[in-house]
Amino acid sequence: MNDTLTTGSLTVKIIVLLIAALLLFAPFLFQDIRSLEVAARICVFIVLVASYDLLIGYTGIVSFAHTMFFGLGAYGAAIALRQMGPGWDAVLTGAVAGAFVSLILAIAIGLLSLRVKAIFFAMITLAAASVAMVLASQLSQFTGGEDGITYKAPDLFKPATKLAVTDDGKVARLFGVRLNGKLAAYYFVFITCLVLFLLMLRLVGSPVGTVLKAIRENEARAEAIGYRVVAYRTFVFCVAAVIASLAGTVYAIWLKYTGPDTALSFTIMIDILLMVVIGGMGTMYGAVIGAVLLVLAQYYLRDLMGSAAEALSNVPVLPFILEPDRWLFWLGIIFILLVYFFPQGIAGTLARKGDKA
Amino acid sequence: MSQPSLVTRDLTIRFGGHVAVNAVSCAFNPGELTVIVGPNGAGKTTYFNLISGQLMPSAGQVIKDGVDISAMPPSKRAHHGIGRAFQLTNLFPQLSVLENIRLAVQARSGEGWRFLTRTQSLTELAARAERYLEATKLSSVAHLPAAALSHGDQRKLEVALLMAMEPDIYMFDEPTAGMSLDHAPDVLDLIAEIKHDQTKTILLVEHKMDVVRTLADRIIVLHNGELLADGAPDEVMSSQIVRDVYLGKSAEPA
Repeated sequence: MNDTLTTGSLTVKIIVLLIAALLLFAPFLFQDIRSLEVAARICVFIVLVASYDLLIGYTGIVSFAHTMFFGLGAYGAAIALRQMGPGWDAVLTGAVAGAFVSLILAIAIGLLSLRVKAIFFAMITLAAASVAMVLASQLSQFTGGEDGITYKAPDLFKPATKLAVTDDGKVARLFGVRLNGKLAAYYFVFITCLVLFLLMLRLVGSPVGTVLKAIRENEARAEAIGYRVVAYRTFVFCVAAVIASLAGTVYAIWLKYTGPDTALSFTIMIDILLMVVIGGMGTMYGAVIGAVLLVLAQYYLRDLMGSAAEALSNVPVLPFILEPDRWLFWLGIIFILLVYFFPQGIAGTLARKGDKA
Repeated sequence: MSQPSLVTRDLTIRFGGHVAVNAVSCAFNPGELTVIVGPNGAGKTTYFNLISGQLMPSAGQVIKDGVDISAMPPSKRAHHGIGRAFQLTNLFPQLSVLENIRLAVQARSGEGWRFLTRTQSLTELAARAERYLEATKLSSVAHLPAAALSHGDQRKLEVALLMAMEPDIYMFDEPTAGMSLDHAPDVLDLIAEIKHDQTKTILLVEHKMDVVRTLADRIIVLHNGELLADGAPDEVMSSQIVRDVYLGKSAEPA
């Protein structure tokens, strides 16, 4: 909240740096395909959640259209890659087209409706998001409808691509990891997401960042001391939309598949909301922690419960409770506990703890 | 006397059938401190809201240095030099005192749209914010959130925000409201300092008569939304009509 450092906020920073290091070395630390899948998803969601936090946490704008922008970026890349073939020109076209359409829509929604009360704005974004979902499903000649689109990523990212070869022409290994296209694809995701995240970190630490918080705190006074609130709101809505769109493009390139479930569904919107709340609203680091926890839970809680149930197979009742099919139930309980013990989110609550250093 | 810095011409606002401010025409000059008095519901705060833009007039104009600002939103009026402090404390509660002041400084300096510069690197802004912190004796609480301050300090921060905007027109709406007698002078001293400059136009809504006597160059009286009297303090305070509507009827003149 303020400029001084608490031991709690230092802890948050260390956790985030640790996560960044783990993500940086993920292909070497966790050498299986699923882990890499999880790591890439975490990278993309960190950016998506952080960009959403610019709206809800920093400025106090409630929007349900964030997956729409994410989807625009994903579908932009998907359609371009499908129509133009797997090349960088297609990636660029898709990214720019997605971001551009997102920008135009964000400006339109922003200027038309950011003057109205928060609840009406939320409804309008909900309507826009619903329209986007219907369109994606109806325009199946472009979007593949409910089935989505599969396509090829640029050659550099093909698993068969050799980034380096040994003397006998086989793909070289570094610490046992094949230096192939999959690795290149992961680092493409990692670096793009890192750049986008750092950009947002800079934004919230800039004069505009303080103005956004001021608008959240006291809109009328922000206007009275000379800030055009509608303009700032529209600006941050546009920034968040474009970043979400770019995150969508990156994810589409990584997955080589884009459909309603991966890019547009309200499930993603709910995931984003949960990640923001768990991590802590109004802190960029919260987005990192929230995204990591939720994605890990979604991927590994089931397995964890499976092995726990097995290990406890001799104990009565417990294996029944820990049955892997009940993982959603446990996920729910974990969320409730997190919200109870960390009312400001993990990063938000931790940052207030400890003495001022 | 020089040209007036602020003029309201037939300024009127109606809420349904109720005329809250009725055709108030008044000119305010640089270097002059005008106290606006009137019983509760006389339209003082509404008059302020019309000048600073929180309300749009039904009729009439607000003119700042010859420019008609009647149609501008508050943020644009702020850039035209209209500064306003509020009756009820109106701060950014979760932001630190320093951030509160920096926001006002930054709005004034036109750096409010820089989004890729680290705030910390703008040392000029920090230095100016520091100056207002010191002027209002809030340095020791600079890093506390505004919500954690005592009422008196919050009132001071309110004034600090206004000073940091560096306006031409200072508008104070009961700056000492709710303050104890020992703390009120802090805020009044700040106002006296601004007045000392002799270049600023100061508008002050205030009930405390001793304040009015010591600070006012001029008093205007509003009653039922209309301008009832306008003149030098002694003249206005002694006029019969003012005694009748204001001092006479009000149960609590203080």
